[in-house]
Amino acid sequence: MSEIQNFTLNFGPQHPAAHGVLRLVLEMDGEVIQHADPHIGLLHRATEKLAETKPFSQSIGYMDRLDYVSMMCNEHGYVLAIEKLLGITVPIRAQYIRVMFDEITRILNHLMWLGAHGLDVGAMTMFLYCFREREDLMDVYEAVSGTRMHATYYRPGGVYRDLPDEMPRYQSTKFRAQKDIDRLNENRQGSVLDFIEDFTNRFPACVDEYETLLTDNRIWKQRTVDIGVVSPERALQLGFTGPMLRGSGVEWDLRKKQPYETYAEVDFDIPVGTNGDCYDRYLVRVEELRQSNRIVRQCIDWLRLNPGPVILDDPKFVAPSRENMKDDMESLIHHFKLFTEGYTVPEGEAYVAIEHPKGEFGVYLVSDGSNKPYRLKIRAPGFAHISALHEMVVGHMLADVVAVIGTQDIVFGEIDR
Amino acid sequence: MGLTNSEIQQLAAVNLSKPETPQELLDQRGFWVTNADALYNWARTGSMWPVTFGLACCAIEMMHAGAARYDLDRFGVMFRPSPRQSDVMIVAGTLTNKMAPPLRKIWDQMPEPKWAISMGSCANGGGYYHYSYAVVRGCDRIIPVDVYVPGCPPTAEALIYGILQLQEKIRRTNTIAR
Amino acid sequence: MNERYEALSAAISARFGTALSSVSSHCGELTWEVDKTDLIRVVTALRDEDEFRFEMLVDVCGIDYLSYGQAEWQTDEATSTGFSRAAVPVNIVPDADTTFEPRRFAVVYHLLSISRNWRVRLRVFPGIENPPVVPSVVDVWAGANWFEREAFDLFGIQFEGHPDLRRILTDYGFIGHPFRKDFPVVGNVETRYDPDQGRVIYQPVSIEPRTLVPKVIRTDNRYASELKDEPEHE
Repeated sequence: MSEIQNFTLNFGPQHPAAHGVLRLVLEMDGEVIQHADPHIGLLHRATEKLAETKPFSQSIGYMDRLDYVSMMCNEHGYVLAIEKLLGITVPIRAQYIRVMFDEITRILNHLMWLGAHGLDVGAMTMFLYCFREREDLMDVYEAVSGTRMHATYYRPGGVYRDLPDEMPRYQSTKFRAQKDIDRLNENRQGSVLDFIEDFTNRFPACVDEYETLLTDNRIWKQRTVDIGVVSPERALQLGFTGPMLRGSGVEWDLRKKQPYETYAEVDFDIPVGTNGDCYDRYLVRVEELRQSNRIVRQCIDWLRLNPGPVILDDPKFVAPSRENMKDDMESLIHHFKLFTEGYTVPEGEAYVAIEHPKGEFGVYLVSDGSNKPYRLKIRAPGFAHISALHEMVVGHMLADVVAVIGTQDIVFGEIDR
Repeated sequence: MGLTNSEIQQLAAVNLSKPETPQELLDQRGFWVTNADALYNWARTGSMWPVTFGLACCAIEMMHAGAARYDLDRFGVMFRPSPRQSDVMIVAGTLTNKMAPPLRKIWDQMPEPKWAISMGSCANGGGYYHYSYAVVRGCDRIIPVDVYVPGCPPTAEALIYGILQLQEKIRRTNTIAR
Repeated sequence: MNERYEALSAAISARFGTALSSVSSHCGELTWEVDKTDLIRVVTALRDEDEFRFEMLVDVCGIDYLSYGQAEWQTDEATSTGFSRAAVPVNIVPDADTTFEPRRFAVVYHLLSISRNWRVRLRVFPGIENPPVVPSVVDVWAGANWFEREAFDLFGIQFEGHPDLRRILTDYGFIGHPFRKDFPVVGNVETRYDPDQGRVIYQPVSIEPRTLVPKVIRTDNRYASELKDEPEHE
């Protein structure tokens, strides 16, 4: 009788469940995984090296493109690191706007995760539901920054501009009845804040809707309960952060423990799992959707009551306003210097970590006193998570690999950088 | 075919008014006459199935184009997970040196006739990452591209416009008459 | 720097003495430089001892200090000589040397304590030999595995005792260590499809690197807060 040997299975890099460009080399004994070797770097674009060749402000756009489902959170980490080195403090209104957009981004990210994770394990409807809500939030992005995804909205010293008073509306067209257009424009009559508030009123019902589809769904539970269990001690050893760590039962959230911006002022809870399996991490993230919604609401209330500047009035770091530039020589000079040379950042090094939707997003910035970063290191949460993929899938079936990749909320833009 | 001249005159005498739309034509005569090329192109443009080749940020917009609001299914565009079943490749995102051989392999696995849409600045020519050591400066160095969609990322509408442009391009091609 | 960090700083100094040397920071962060022979002893103590409790290794990264503090464009005395049109590339010695400057490469560790809620940064210099080597901390924190692979891939720093030191981010068969300062940003090779061979091939890079904004260092205190004019326009 011949000996039965393990065989090797190549998964990806083009695979609908690979969340982009993951290549996995799996050693299988029948359908059971014996060894998993993830190959990453298929989206390695040398962001950090490119950032070393550009002035500080010009690299904010690279941050958007790192984790391309939570754009503004990445900007936030980078901008905070520059501000820490420069030693400047942001106006309070800008801080609230940043907190609000961080949470909007968290909702965007978790919706993307929920849709994709659902799709991976066979719940097609989730994808359509989640993307319906994502469209509304992308409209908010577009209203404040002019672009649906890569906003470059956070700038060192504040945010690019204040929230607009008007939400863009659908225009009449011969392809659609006026009555439908009026219906679509119903919640777009007021300001951007009104639109976001309308969203936060609708959103809890949407989350309920997702939960009716998944939380008690027998198939969903069979695919996720007791899959990819990580103990809290092991999670710390492996450098897990964010929902991956909280799903294992460690109560750790930088927004609470090391508050930045105005997170100390807003009221929210941290959901924590107990078993550390895929299902618990699902529950943690769904609860985070609700908590983020709560934070957004508090920010809206504060922002309505407190107008004020949203960016520092310091022409050495912040571009002068368009009007000043037209008739003020000094402003014109500042504008020219800022956009040709940029500003120099004092020599030193800073590490700033923020609670990114996926975990701890750290930016380690070394400046040698010049107008470009000397070294920029991005600590991507997903990098630590996917390095533990082998541990999480060994002994599971092939189909569970997909569930584990889904639960890790992998995005290759930030892992490969 | 098989009709004598007198029969054709008889048919023409039944409907002296010139039909204006295909539907009127169908109502009057009960059939259409077209050439084989037009028929092929109609079939091809009506069911363009792209292989999901999401690489980076543009893939998110591509998914948005396929999801609830923009609904690419209206155009007969349905994303297929396998290259063997698809006839369009949408290269959505930054193509790196490490990813270039797999991209070409997927392309070679697609059956003819096939088309490629390059979506976003990175795929068009490297874009924001043009000067990086790891990035292919345009996916047209690896595969032949039919339509370039600019933007970083292009909005879902822009991608849909690109797909419509590709349909136009397909309509202009002849398979049988050369 | 707040009181808790001062207490931690004092505790670390008391515990390790001369094995660590402190680096001052104007951002309120604790940085210590460790000799690489002491590294494993120090990090194990930082992880296990009750007064430190750094359960988590957040990040490991390499740095190449080759062109630290060198500007690409001299502007200090330009009024007498005039500006050049563009940046003059810094003259960089290639990597062929058998030894490096002692402080050229560094490995930086960021530690985090969940139970005590504090962070600390450690920096290790691999020294002069080529290739640079530091001991691996995989046995202390399992999460270091991939971070060390990344530092090896991008900087060529070898980690002694690492179980699986392979390239991770760059292409299969990549030559060189791209994040070293003497590696050009545009790289040395690029890919294209070759119809004759029917596969994707490498060829020498066809574009020129460009410096759009030269790197300048300003030491004239123009950003010092006490010298700053109040903005005049309203």
